[in-house]
Amino acid sequence: MLIADLIGGIVVLLLGVALIFFSRQLSYMSEYGPGPGFLPLWLGIGLVGCALFVILKNLKEHAKADPFFKPRTKLAVKMLVTIIITFLLFPVLGFPIGLALFTGFAMRIMGKHSLILCGISAVLTAVGIHFIFGQLLYIPLPEGMIGW
Amino acid sequence: MDLLNNLYTGFSIALTFNNILYCLFGVFFGQIIGVLPGIGAPTAIALLLPLTFKANPTSALIMFAGIYYGVAYGGTITSVLINVPGESSTVMTCLDGYQMALKGRAGPALSVAAIGSWIAGTASVVLLMAFAPALAKFALRFGPSEYFALAAMAFGLLTVFGGEHPVKIIISTLIGLMIATIGLDVVSGLPRFTFGVPQLLGGFDFIVVICGIFGVAEIFNSLEEPEEGELIKSKLRLRDVFLTWEDWVASRWAIVRGGIIGFFTGMIPAGGITTASFLAYLAEKRVSKHPERFGHGAIEGVAAPESANNAASISGFAPLLALGIPGSPTTAVMLAGFMMWGIRPGPLLFQQKPDMVWGLISSMYIGNLILLFINIFMIPAFVMILRLPYTILMGFIVVFASVGAFSVNNNLFDVWMMLGFGVLGYIMKKLDYPIVPLVLAMVLGRLAEDSLRRALTISGGSLSIFFTRPISALFLGAAILAYLTPVIRWALKGLRRPKADTA
Repeated sequence: MLIADLIGGIVVLLLGVALIFFSRQLSYMSEYGPGPGFLPLWLGIGLVGCALFVILKNLKEHAKADPFFKPRTKLAVKMLVTIIITFLLFPVLGFPIGLALFTGFAMRIMGKHSLILCGISAVLTAVGIHFIFGQLLYIPLPEGMIGW
Repeated sequence: MDLLNNLYTGFSIALTFNNILYCLFGVFFGQIIGVLPGIGAPTAIALLLPLTFKANPTSALIMFAGIYYGVAYGGTITSVLINVPGESSTVMTCLDGYQMALKGRAGPALSVAAIGSWIAGTASVVLLMAFAPALAKFALRFGPSEYFALAAMAFGLLTVFGGEHPVKIIISTLIGLMIATIGLDVVSGLPRFTFGVPQLLGGFDFIVVICGIFGVAEIFNSLEEPEEGELIKSKLRLRDVFLTWEDWVASRWAIVRGGIIGFFTGMIPAGGITTASFLAYLAEKRVSKHPERFGHGAIEGVAAPESANNAASISGFAPLLALGIPGSPTTAVMLAGFMMWGIRPGPLLFQQKPDMVWGLISSMYIGNLILLFINIFMIPAFVMILRLPYTILMGFIVVFASVGAFSVNNNLFDVWMMLGFGVLGYIMKKLDYPIVPLVLAMVLGRLAEDSLRRALTISGGSLSIFFTRPISALFLGAAILAYLTPVIRWALKGLRRPKADTA
């Protein structure tokens, strides 16, 4: 965890430096008062200061802490990859079908539920999304190849 | 007299068939959300918010308020029966509630929680009716410097109440403020940090952020570290639920004390219902003649925190409605709802939308009464929900989060951004960076920046405007003190250590 925390501190430091850099391209003061770059500059300075504190604290401490990667982290990563693939397929499958396949697949892979339960959930998801969001609430969800 | 008139106006709105249905759905849904570990009130409201775009704002608010205080009731069931808090606000209930359940007294534990919540909640609504208009009247004196100072105080108080890593809380706050600066600058009209991406000109919509950072992030966290506990098979027949006279005598003052602590803690920006329950438990243990019983099934240890969290969930509406400043993540999501409906909460809301304000407040009497009934007579039904596997629930969270994010601007860019914020929330939680400060800073960011710039424009760039106006100076003083609290704690610890060492 300490190395992850250290990396986290470095990322915040870089974010702060980037914020200072980009806010310098905006005017700090305008004719009537503070300009658009005023607050971001101070936020960047604040982030750099706090990040340095986190980094120095981590370099100073040698205590053991929880690991960043845990035995079940791979499940979270699997879920993330499944969601990314689902989102990539939206233009082809549409929202209802895409999310229905996601629901069925995620239940099967993560929860080891029976194929019948996964199938029923997937169908209910597709029908629910199409009718509740699409027809009842008039949300113009992206349609897939079958027109849903 | 005004109070009675307001009450009459409120009940004439809240008691319409439509609003009773919204209230019933809200409290019922809130109770379910409270029972389900891994999904909280902010997530539930954020996921439902896009669906209420065309609804009557008063009805939608009544429903969301019902979810908020319903969650405080529902979280108790898991705390008592499986020793896993359904909500962070019911963590303290685990200590004695679960011990009571182990001794076969789950019924009285759940019952005292429901009765305490109802008494404290109803008393809190009465106090809210008295305090909120007075607060709104007081806030009419606020100018830009006061609003900036108030926001600064809210951010400062987060370092006191927000967790054990003050520097990480400040980083989280600064990131939230940074996110709020993305998009067109309202004063100069210049784009900031949009990098040529047209979808970023309007900034990140709050719903997109919330759906990701609460909804999707929670899926990743729950998959990695599932909250599991063994369900106690306790008798929960109706006759086992009622309190004995001894139980009532032991818990009645705990309910009063918990309610008072909860009400005032909930009013503080960033105070929140979790802090309220924690403080109430500690206070009850301190005043008890038998503090050694706490942690071993003392009924006061359930009554006090449960009364406090419900009172705080009600009083948390005072800063939101009267000042336009949310005190907790849930009220921050509701503020996003106000913005979505084109309504600005604040001192003028009481004059411009009295039907909305008083309808909402009056609905809380009805909602609390429904919840009391549900929590006495329908506990076994909610215990069944505990058996619902999270792997079924997570699919629905992704569905609601995706549709919610898409429906904001009807584009897939927001859906991807929602996922990005989900990953950010997951990593932040893993690294102990609290999410609540980011959310509050994001929602208050525009108000804070606009107020700061307007105040400095009025003063010709002089910072003295913040210290020469008494209210602003008071708020900023509190903010500075709050930011210095970690340093003071650290210094005090350093002073005490040599004594302990020599002893």
